[in-house]
Amino acid sequence: CSLGYGGSKPDILWSPHHVDRYVICDSELSLYRIESLGSTEAKAGVIQLSEETAATLLAINSDTPYMKCVAWYPKHEPECLLAVGQANGRVVLTSLGQSHNSKCKELMGKEFVPKHARQCNTLSWNPADSNWLAAGLDKHRADFSVLIWDISSKYAPEATVPPEKIRLPSGDADVGTVVTKPLYELGQNDACLSLCWLPRDQKLLLAGMHRNLAIFDLRNTSQKMFVNTKAIQGVTVDPFFHDRVASFFEGQVAIWDLRKFEKPVLTLSEQPKPLTKVAWCPTRAGLLATLTRDSNVVRLYDMQHAPTPIGDETEPTIIERSVQPCESFISSFAWHPSAQNRMVVVSPNRAMTDFTVFERISLAWSSTSSLMWACGRHLYDCAEERTGSEAAVESDIATKMRARAQSRYGHDTVQVWRNYVLAGGDDPQLKSLWYTLHYILPFQCPYLTLDQEQKQQGNKQTVVYSGIKNIVKSSSGTTESRRSWSDSDRQGDVVRYHSEERSLALRLCGWIGRGPDVDVEPFLRSLEQEGEWERAAAVALFNLDIRRAIQILNKGASSEKGDLNLNVVAMALSGHTDEKSSLWREMCSSLRLQLRSPYLRASFAFLTSEPGAYDGVLYESRVAVRDRVAFACMFLSDTQLSRYIDKLTNEMKEAGNLEGILLTGLTKDGVDLMESYVDRTGDVQTASFCMLKGSPGEVVKDPRVQCWIENYRNLLDAWRFWHKRAEFDIHRSKLDPSSKPLAQVFVSCNFCGKSISYSCSAMPHQGRSFSQYGVSGSPTKSKVTSCPGCRKPLPRCALCLMNMGTPVSSCPGTGKSDEKVDLSKDKKLAQFNNWFTWCHNCRHGGHAGHMLSWFRDHTECPVSACTCKCMQLDTTGNLVPSDTT
Amino acid sequence: MDLHILEHRLKVTSIAKQGLFVFTHPLIKLIFLRSRTRCKFLSLTETPEDFTLVLDEEGFKELPCSEYLQVEDSMWLALNVVSNGHASSSSQAVGVTKIAKSVIAPLAEQHVSVFMLSTYQTDFILVREKDLSVVIDTLQEEFNIYREVGGECVPVPSQDVHNGFQKNGKEATKATVHPVLSPLNKFCVMSLDPDTLPTIATTLIDVLFYSSSCKDASHSSQDLDCVKFFSFSLIDGYISLVMDTEAQRQFPADLLFTSSSGELWRMVRIGGQPLGFDECGIVAQISQPLANSDISAYYISTFSFDHALVITTGRQQHSWV
Repeated sequence: CSLGYGGSKPDILWSPHHVDRYVICDSELSLYRIESLGSTEAKAGVIQLSEETAATLLAINSDTPYMKCVAWYPKHEPECLLAVGQANGRVVLTSLGQSHNSKCKELMGKEFVPKHARQCNTLSWNPADSNWLAAGLDKHRADFSVLIWDISSKYAPEATVPPEKIRLPSGDADVGTVVTKPLYELGQNDACLSLCWLPRDQKLLLAGMHRNLAIFDLRNTSQKMFVNTKAIQGVTVDPFFHDRVASFFEGQVAIWDLRKFEKPVLTLSEQPKPLTKVAWCPTRAGLLATLTRDSNVVRLYDMQHAPTPIGDETEPTIIERSVQPCESFISSFAWHPSAQNRMVVVSPNRAMTDFTVFERISLAWSSTSSLMWACGRHLYDCAEERTGSEAAVESDIATKMRARAQSRYGHDTVQVWRNYVLAGGDDPQLKSLWYTLHYILPFQCPYLTLDQEQKQQGNKQTVVYSGIKNIVKSSSGTTESRRSWSDSDRQGDVVRYHSEERSLALRLCGWIGRGPDVDVEPFLRSLEQEGEWERAAAVALFNLDIRRAIQILNKGASSEKGDLNLNVVAMALSGHTDEKSSLWREMCSSLRLQLRSPYLRASFAFLTSEPGAYDGVLYESRVAVRDRVAFACMFLSDTQLSRYIDKLTNEMKEAGNLEGILLTGLTKDGVDLMESYVDRTGDVQTASFCMLKGSPGEVVKDPRVQCWIENYRNLLDAWRFWHKRAEFDIHRSKLDPSSKPLAQVFVSCNFCGKSISYSCSAMPHQGRSFSQYGVSGSPTKSKVTSCPGCRKPLPRCALCLMNMGTPVSSCPGTGKSDEKVDLSKDKKLAQFNNWFTWCHNCRHGGHAGHMLSWFRDHTECPVSACTCKCMQLDTTGNLVPSDTT
Repeated sequence: MDLHILEHRLKVTSIAKQGLFVFTHPLIKLIFLRSRTRCKFLSLTETPEDFTLVLDEEGFKELPCSEYLQVEDSMWLALNVVSNGHASSSSQAVGVTKIAKSVIAPLAEQHVSVFMLSTYQTDFILVREKDLSVVIDTLQEEFNIYREVGGECVPVPSQDVHNGFQKNGKEATKATVHPVLSPLNKFCVMSLDPDTLPTIATTLIDVLFYSSSCKDASHSSQDLDCVKFFSFSLIDGYISLVMDTEAQRQFPADLLFTSSSGELWRMVRIGGQPLGFDECGIVAQISQPLANSDISAYYISTFSFDHALVITTGRQQHSWV
C-alpha cells in the first residue's frame, strides 16, 4: 500500500495466510478476526460487517508513528509480522498480538535506515525469498530510492553514527537492531512511488519511479528496463497472468504487458477523481478493482475476455461495472486472499463492510432450447426434461417444432390430415386445422375430382377458400323442413334448414362426405373407430337418430376400456320424451351440467331445449368448433347462423384458436387468426405450412406470412436442419412458384466470358448446337469439360488436375406447371461431387468432392504456395448438418 | 544520461530586507497554503544582502508590486539531469560536481549564463528561456533531451546542423577570478514531510521573517565569521532546507530529514561585488576543480552571489579555496 496514513484514511491489509485476519492501518495498526455471525453473536465488542459476518478486534499496535506504508510478511510464520515504512524512510518490523515464535521475537523492532532520510512510499516483500524486503523512497540528490533490505542481516557494520543521531522513535532501541546497509541500492537520484516483485523471477523488481516504470534485474543492477510514463503509482502484477501489470496516475489506469513494455496495452477510461487503489482480484482471473478518492463505489474491470495482446491494434474488450459495498465513502478495500470475489472495505470513520462481488451471469441459449449460464466458477446447464410423464410441463414450442420438423410435419400433401399425426397427434387444435385443410384442399385443386356442381360454379373455389363464414354469408335459397326423430312417427317440431351452402359447410365440417350423398353414417363410423363414443352419439342425436345414438353408446360401453356409464347415459337417452313438462325433461336439463363429457352435456341440452334456442349446444365451448358449426348449419336460421358464425369467428380470432380456420378459411381473416395463434404459441412452423396452402395471390404475399416463413427457415438453419430447409424451400416453391430464387451464381468461361451453363438455360440457341459440328453420340456428356460456347477447356481441378465440368441435363426443368414433378436422381444436373467450387479469397478450386475431402485433413489451399486458409474463411464451413439421414 | 527541460517558467527576484513586510502575506500563502495557489516552484534564500525568491509564473502573480522587489527581466527554465539507471559508477560525487563536465562547462563555453539551485532531492540548472536553443544545441550530443509537456516527457528532436557557428551573441569575457568568503558556521541540508509542515510552521516563520531581530543582539560578535544563510524550497511538493546548525536547533529534531550520518557542510560565497546575471563561467570555475577532485558539492545561486557548499571532512574544501 502506498498511502500515507494521515490518521483519517485507514487502509486495510488481509493476512496472506490466515484467511480470517486483517489489519486496519491508520495512525495505528489494528488486527481483526472475521467470523461468521452465528458463532459470535453473544460476545461484546463484535463489529458486524455484513449479514453473515462480524469482526473482533484482537490487537492494536501504536508503536510506530509516521506510518506511510505497511506490508505483511508473506510466509506462514511468523504470522503477524508487518513491515512499516515511515515518513523518514525507515522501515520497522513490528508485530501484532503475542507471538511465541522465536524468529518473530528476533525480528521485532528491527529497523532499516536509509542514508538520507525521506519518505518511504512503498514496501514489498519478495515472494520467493521472504528475507528480502524492497522499500521505495522519495528522491534524494545523492541517494538511491529503491533499497532492498535483508531482514536477516544481523549487524550494522557501517552504523558508525552516534546513537543519538538515529533518533529511534521508541527510544529503547538497541543499536544492534538497526541495519543501515541495504543488500541492493537502485534508482539513484530518482523517486520510487510503487514497487512489486515480478513472479517471473525472484530477482526482478518492477518499480514506479518518477515519470517512468522500471524493471530492475538484481542479477545485473547496472541494467534496467524502463519506459517513460506518468502512470507510475500502484504497480501490481496480475496474479493469474504474470506478464500483465496495472499502474495508475491520477484518474487513469494503465495496463501493461511486460513482453511488450514500450507502451500500455490499454488504458482504462479516466475517472474524474484521482485513484487511490488498484488491485487484481486474487481469486478471479482478469478482474481489476479500482477505487477513487471520495467515492462510495468500487469500479471493476473485467478483462476476462481480453485476448492476449498480439498486435498494436488489438484492443481487448473490457466489461466495466461498479459495485457499492456500503453507503459511506470508501477509504480502502482489500480482496480476500481465497474466498471468491470477496472483499472488505473500510470507510474513513473505520466502519468496515464485508462484501462479495456478485459475478456477472452470462447466459447462452442454444437453438435446441437448452439453456446454459455461468456464474463464478459454476456452469449451469438447464435442459428440458424429456420424461414424457403426464405431469411434466408441456414441452417448449421450439422443441416441438424441432421434433415435428424431423418427422416431416407439413410435408404430407396427399393425406393432408396426416400432418396432424406427424405433429405428434396430441394437439386438438392442430388436428382440427389439418382436418379442415384436408376438407378444404380438394376443392382448390383443379385436377382432383370435384363435384359437377363445383366445376360449374367457378367462384365456388374461392368461396371454399374463404371458409364457412363466407360460405354462409353467400347462402341463398334456404329451405326449412320440419323433422321428427327417426324412430318417431309423429310430425317433428324440430326445424332443420337446408341449402347448398349449408351442405357444403357440413362437408367442410367433415360430417358428410363429398358428392351428393348427405349421409352422416360414414362419419359416425369413423368416430366409432376412433372411440369417440360421446361425440358420435351427439352427432347421431343432432341428426335426430336417437336409436343410433343409443346404439353407439352401448357399443362404447362394451368396447375395450369402455366406460360402463355410457350405458347409463343410453338409458337416460332412451327415456327421451317431447313432453314439455315431463320429469325427464326437468331432471335432464338440471343434471346434464354434472356430466363430464361436453358432448353428452350438449346432447341433453339439445334434447331439452326449446326449438330454435340451442345455446346449450352452441356455446358449449369444449365441443369442437366444427361440430358446433355443423350443428348451427343444421338448426339455425340464416340470420341466427350468420350472427353465430360471426361471433364465433371473432372469438376464435381473438383466442388464436386454429379450429377457427374452418370459419375463416385461408383468407386475410385466417391470417389474422393465425397471427394471434403465432403470438400465443410462437408456432411459425404450423403457420408457414398452413398459409403456404392458401391462395398465393392474397395470403402468401401477406408480409406476416412471409415473416413466418422466413423465421421458420431461419429456425431450420439455426438447428442445422439444412436438408429440411431445402426440402421446405422446394415444398414452398411448388406452392408458391414466385418464391423460387433466381440463379445467383454463374460460371463463366475464362476465354469467351459466357456462362458455361447457358446451354441449359432458358435462352434458346445461343450459339450453335453441337450437332451442327457433327459431334455424334451425346455431345453434352462427352464435352462437359469444355466451354459450350467457345469449346476451350474449362479450368482444372486443383487436386485431380482434370478439367472440370458437369454433365448438364439436356432437358432443364423449366416447364411451367410441373412443379410437382419430382426431380429424380437421374434428372439432377450433376452429382454434387462434380460441382465447381472455388475459394472467393484465393480463387483456387476444384471438384466439390475433392475439395471437401482435402479440407477434411488440411487447412490450407491445395494449390502449392498458396497459404489461403480457404475453409476457415467460411464460418459455416466446419459445421455439419444435424439432420443428415 | 537524460536532460529534462522542466515545465516551470521561472522568475528570479530579490526582496530587500527592509521591504520584507510587504511580502510576508504572499510568502506565507505560498509556503503554507499550498492548496490555495497553483505555484509549484518556490525557492526562498535569505542572505545578509536580501531574500532571493525564485518562483514560477503562478507564484509570481501573488507578489505585489513594490519598490523593494527587484526582478530579473528574463524568463528562466529549469533543467534537470536524470541518470536513468545508467549511473556513472566511476564517480560517487553528485550534484554540481557530477554535471560539471557534461553541462556546466559546455554551457560556460557557449556563454550561457546559469543559475544553480541545489535541493535535498536534486539539482536544478536554470537557464534563460532565450538561451534554450543554444542549450539544446550544446547539450544534445551528451544527453537525450526531453521536454516535459503536461507531465509527459517529450523527446526534443535533435536540431539540424545550424548555419554557421552559433554563439550566444555575447563577448567572450576573460574569466574573472572572484573573491571568495568562507564563513565558519556549518550548515545542514535537510528535508521535511510536507504533511508535517504545519507542525513546524511557527518555527519556520520565526526563522524566515524574524531572524534579524534576535540574531543581531546575540551574534553581533560573530558577524565577521558567520554569514546568515537560510534556504527554503518547495518544488513539486518536495521541501528542501539549508540552514546553519544554529537555526537547526530551533526545529524539533525528529521531524527534519537529513542523512543518517548527520553530515555538516561548509559554505563558500563567491563574489565580492554582486555578480549580476550576465557573467558566465562562474559555476564552471568552481565546479571544475571539484570535479577533478571528485568532491560532492551543493550550489545555490542567489540574486547577488553564488554559494557552494561542501561536506566538512576537514581537509577538502581548503584544497580548492
